[in-house]
Amino acid sequence: MADPTRRALIAAAAALPLVAVSGCNGVDVLASPPRQAPDVGLLRAAIAAEQLLVTQYAAVLRGLASSGAGGPAALTAALEPLLGQHRAHLAELRSRLVVPAGSASPPPSARATRAPAVPAAPAAAVAFLRAAEQAAAAAMLSRLTGASASLAQLFASISASEATHVPVLDDAARDVPARAGA
Amino acid sequence: MSEPGATGALQAALAAEHAAVYGYGVVGAYLTGGSRAAATADWVAHQNARDELEAMLRSRGSQPGPAAVAYQLPISVRTSGQAVSLAVILEERIATAYLGLVALSTPALRQLGALQVRESALRAAFWRGSTVAFPGLTAAALAAPRRNPAIGRDS
Repeated sequence: MADPTRRALIAAAAALPLVAVSGCNGVDVLASPPRQAPDVGLLRAAIAAEQLLVTQYAAVLRGLASSGAGGPAALTAALEPLLGQHRAHLAELRSRLVVPAGSASPPPSARATRAPAVPAAPAAAVAFLRAAEQAAAAAMLSRLTGASASLAQLFASISASEATHVPVLDDAARDVPARAGA
Repeated sequence: MSEPGATGALQAALAAEHAAVYGYGVVGAYLTGGSRAAATADWVAHQNARDELEAMLRSRGSQPGPAAVAYQLPISVRTSGQAVSLAVILEERIATAYLGLVALSTPALRQLGALQVRESALRAAFWRGSTVAFPGLTAAALAAPRRNPAIGRDS
């Protein structure tokens, strides 16, 4: 999946060896607090995942708009609210990110703003978004463990929202002719 | 295994399930055909969830809260449209109640809560005919500035 997601996860995982190394000092391991709250790593991963979904939806919608014949209007109308909800997810997640002073924060959107590769044919694009939603919903649930109470609630709610996008995409797929470019 | 607050959160979810079981009885009564079948399926799902919560509470040594004799419906229902609106409201309340389980730190309860929030969101989306960004979360629980981001306008 997304490079930003992977990088954020690696960044979160990178905090663990520090604890293990300082474990040599015995009880000191409890004395040195973690450099950042666990929520920060989870939030960065969630933000990267939402950012990716937003760019994927936007790329599909751009493709539909430029596919001549105005693109399938019903499909565009189905996808736009879903994109709006992912933007809302992203805004809410970002608002929860309080980066501790002095910690290096990766540039948030340098990478994600690059247009992702999405299938051009409407039917394939819908199937692509469907798979992306399912993967995102599952990944969001996997972040529940270790999250603070209020962040876990946000993750669960966003995951549920993404799960509801799947039947919408199924309905949209039924309205899209299977042949490419139609 | 008995995290403080777990029993209260389970009882709150159970109370919401009791209300949903009652409410879906009303919903189904005003619907016909496929809609009625959907309401019946959801009614059964809430009965099963209620039974599961009651079993969980008993296994923790707690007495499950009883259903009320009658419930004040949040809206008056005299038409099929109002029945559908009631189903949406019931599901929104259910999702909020299960988010109470997600707030617990016990992983199994957190996961159960999250799965039920998802099931509820799917049912709500069916009845509403559209999806929302934050199922079960109230506006007060959201931190981002309210700029009506659900409108899919390009920023």
